[in-house]
Amino acid sequence: MIQLSYLDYLAVEGKSWLHRLSPKLKMIGMVFVLFFIVTLRNLPGLFLLYIILLSLFFFSRIPLKIFSLTFYPLLFAILFIFISGFQIFFILLIFLKVLCGSTGVVLLLATTPYPSIFRVLGKVLPSLFVTALFLTYRSIFILLNVFEETQHALYLRGGLQWRHPWRSLTNISNAFGHLIIQGIDASEKMYESMVLRGFKNKIHYRGE
Amino acid sequence: MSHIHLPDGVLPVWLWVSGYVVAILVGAVLFRFIKKEDLTRRLPLLGMMAAAMVLGASVEIVPIAYHVNLTVISGILLGPSLIFLATLVVNTILALFGHGGVTVIGLNTLILSVEGILGYLLFRLFWKVLRRLTPAIFLATFLSLFASTLSMIGVVSLGASHYEELIHQERKGMFEFHFSKEKEVEHPGDVTENRVNLKRFIAIILPLGFIGWILEGVITSLIARYIHRMRPDLLRLEGKTL
Repeated sequence: MIQLSYLDYLAVEGKSWLHRLSPKLKMIGMVFVLFFIVTLRNLPGLFLLYIILLSLFFFSRIPLKIFSLTFYPLLFAILFIFISGFQIFFILLIFLKVLCGSTGVVLLLATTPYPSIFRVLGKVLPSLFVTALFLTYRSIFILLNVFEETQHALYLRGGLQWRHPWRSLTNISNAFGHLIIQGIDASEKMYESMVLRGFKNKIHYRGE
Repeated sequence: MSHIHLPDGVLPVWLWVSGYVVAILVGAVLFRFIKKEDLTRRLPLLGMMAAAMVLGASVEIVPIAYHVNLTVISGILLGPSLIFLATLVVNTILALFGHGGVTVIGLNTLILSVEGILGYLLFRLFWKVLRRLTPAIFLATFLSLFASTLSMIGVVSLGASHYEELIHQERKGMFEFHFSKEKEVEHPGDVTENRVNLKRFIAIILPLGFIGWILEGVITSLIARYIHRMRPDLLRLEGKTL
């Protein structure tokens, strides 16, 4: 989640052809990727899709350190191995589906600024949902700033130590409590400024 | 733990499509209970709580593959209607980071909102009975997480025949797309194998989940105590507390 601001930076500052491509086309492309992930049921087909996504990733000149993000969902896919009874075909199938999905999504987020994504979503989804999505996305950055400050306070109070589990739990809970209260205060200020600017249940994006 | 971390293409189409349909219907019913002005006023709060849930979900407790959800405390602060929209938003954002597939957003929203809505209702009930903040929050969190984990296991079990199909379809064609649930001829041996595998899954999930429910129960209680100390108005409690 900490990489979120870096992803945003890449999406805005990137100059590759994929960065310049219309957000609508990229979203349609993502829908196709999802369609193939859902319907493809053989390894060569999924492997080909993964190779295509990897090529797009590297042609878009997205830094390698972002590539590690695509492996994060594998952590959750591991549990699914136990359902299969350790069938190698099934495990590879699931892992390739996971990697195709995550590579596609990271590719989209690293080449498309988030207001552009929300603008396209706003045309097909209810405005209330897209507004809530936008506000949540914006709030993540606010909370990340608060979280950074809280981390210092947490460190000064002993931080997280396996040898003192109760103290660690209290510290992390107080940190989350602090985060929530600071977040609520920030949300009240944000609401006041939004109302001042004429907010009525819908956020308008540039170009609308 | 209490929502599905499954990637796209694993659950049968009829299941995740039903998830979306039921989520839309539940959302439509819940939003009838909330005033438009109230919704507009509370949208930034919803955004902030959803962001806190997303951040909580990104802090992984590696040995037991668990992360805090903060759904119950968000449910208590937001109320049942808004927590539903918050879980939908959280699952959409988490899906964008590969934390569960895009196709399972509907199902995940239903499972996670069971946690939030039940957490809210149980907390109000336990608060009325016990009049003590910490046990009321702990019990509400523990029981809501238990209920949502059972829902998650139920959903995963519904797709059991589909997983079997995926495991044993190496020699089949390249594409397969079934929109409806089809009846298949099952051999007794296959059924046993299905059951064994799901039992293994449940045997892993429940003990790990139990540790997680206790951990989340304690963390949520401590967070609620902190909020009660700093901003008691947010919990909207009636009467005295200890």
